[in-house]
Amino acid sequence: MAEPLRLKAKSASPGIASGPAFLAERPDAAPASPAVGGYSALEKAIDISIGELEHLADGADAESRDIIDFQIEVLRDPTIAEATGARMEADENVVFAWVATLDAYIGELEAADEEQMRARAVDILDIKNRVLGALAGTPIADFPPGSVFVGKDMEPSRFLAHDWSKGGGIALFAGSTAGHVALLARAKSVPMVVGTGRFSAADGDPVRVDGYAGAVILKAGGMLIPAPAQAPASDTQTGSSELRTADGVPILLSININDPAEIDALDPATAGVGLMRSEFSVASVADAANEERQLAIYRRVLEQAGDRPVIIRMLDIGGDKPLAGLEDLPALASGLRGIRLLLARPEIARVQARALLRAAVFGRLSVMLPMVTFPDEVDRMRELFRKEAEKLGRRAIPHRMPAIGMMVEVPAAALMLDAFGSAAFFSFGTNDLTQYLAASARDDMDADAGKAAPAVLRLLAQAVKLSAGKPVSICGDMAGDPSYVPRLLAAGLRHFSVAPARRPAIRSAIIGLNADGTRAAGE
Amino acid sequence: MTSGLRSEKQEPDPLHVNCQTEVEVKHGVGLHARPSVTFTRLAKSFPCSIEIAVNGSDVWLNGKSIIKIMGARIRKGSILRIRADGILAEEAIRALKELIERNFDEEKKHGRTA
Repeated sequence: MAEPLRLKAKSASPGIASGPAFLAERPDAAPASPAVGGYSALEKAIDISIGELEHLADGADAESRDIIDFQIEVLRDPTIAEATGARMEADENVVFAWVATLDAYIGELEAADEEQMRARAVDILDIKNRVLGALAGTPIADFPPGSVFVGKDMEPSRFLAHDWSKGGGIALFAGSTAGHVALLARAKSVPMVVGTGRFSAADGDPVRVDGYAGAVILKAGGMLIPAPAQAPASDTQTGSSELRTADGVPILLSININDPAEIDALDPATAGVGLMRSEFSVASVADAANEERQLAIYRRVLEQAGDRPVIIRMLDIGGDKPLAGLEDLPALASGLRGIRLLLARPEIARVQARALLRAAVFGRLSVMLPMVTFPDEVDRMRELFRKEAEKLGRRAIPHRMPAIGMMVEVPAAALMLDAFGSAAFFSFGTNDLTQYLAASARDDMDADAGKAAPAVLRLLAQAVKLSAGKPVSICGDMAGDPSYVPRLLAAGLRHFSVAPARRPAIRSAIIGLNADGTRAAGE
Repeated sequence: MTSGLRSEKQEPDPLHVNCQTEVEVKHGVGLHARPSVTFTRLAKSFPCSIEIAVNGSDVWLNGKSIIKIMGARIRKGSILRIRADGILAEEAIRALKELIERNFDEEKKHGRTA
């Protein structure tokens, strides 16, 4: 067992509390209900939120009521309606208009000179998320009584909704002794420390908060997570999994996932997550606008993966993959898809970029761009990431720039792979590649797939040669079909990412083959 | 028509006026969260538009917006100009001025806890 770790902190409320850790920033279990309409949906969500806050205010003490009154007054602020309305007229989706408006205020408050003002930022963040929760139909989750809340900051409404009679305390990575929660904690005699810096802990780890001395003690040990540094995930070199071809060439076998729950049973022999399709866990426009919820989802995947690399693909929506609540978007009507849609609707991309930048601190994250056709699309998205990273830096929010690579699923990109200098890695998506290469109708794809395979394989072999030594993998359906493994190996592919259920079959296929795709002697 | 009396009235509505005043903030911490809430709530209870300008600035801010009021950095010693336009403008100005002069009723609230 590791040594207990004692971290210095600032005391925000005196007292000693011990209990199992509750880590904030986790995904909510309840799925979001998708339907989000126009401004009236937002008005309704604001009304619901005001109702919830008034309910919380019932029977609350004077300090709590002051904070709730402030939040309700912000929700009733006429300039919020004006600013959100102006953004909607500029063709922004209502949910993103709401997020952008509130984020602007949060940014102003965080940049204020006085701590009293900066401490209000979390109150606004709280109502931003409360309204997003109301839009998606999921309330802010409570945590088990008696536990120690661990997170970057804490929303006042979480404090107020929680039952503190069973004890417990609060340890915040950031936070402020002048914040509303600190005020509430002192009033309710809940031990609390702030400014611990980000530390590692697992849910349920025993944690002790010393609000007298200003310290947090991790009884099971742990570590401070260092400030952001450049450590991009590299996908080909490491030998974390043992898989080799019959003639001893190491092969990486990763899994494709759609949902963070699928990673819980990650096999130790799995090299990592070769593709997480974020559009399946970010299932509605309210989630797409919710940076915190996305962060929680990505963080969970990265923490489960531990030191193994994880590639998360940005939202591949548009075309035949709509996002609930975004069907009416003009950009969708024009048939934009993948990165082109993200670049046309940067308000969607910016939220996801921030969530990914923040999540990157928790593991070996790489970000993959969907449906890239031309090199400038990668450049523009990298620029968007750089700008968002700069903003996070100004707000002193921990983040890290992930390696940014691309899906190769458009023939024009596959043929010109050497022109994509700014992509850090490539992953072949054979489904779309086959469809576009063979001019298949979407419905006839299965019929064409077999006949088109030789052309696809020839294109893959050429593209691998053009990859200039950058990490290359394949994550399309072709990778999960054992009959293609010999030809994929012969094409030079050394990294396969497949659905978890396909992993054993592909693994045994690889073991029986030489790296050039020929059958090993004795097989 | 139902009301002959009203249609006779041609002069401007006596209730529809604009009105302005100036007042110094004496409250110790200025307009932080709680006094701002008290101010904007009172402002919202009047139908007229209400705007404020701080320390001779010619930027007029919506007096019903907590975000604008808090963002204006109104501190002890700040001079606040308040103007109102519309129905009950005079009453609104009087009530808001009195509220500031009463220190946003903060003493009353503090008396309870401190």
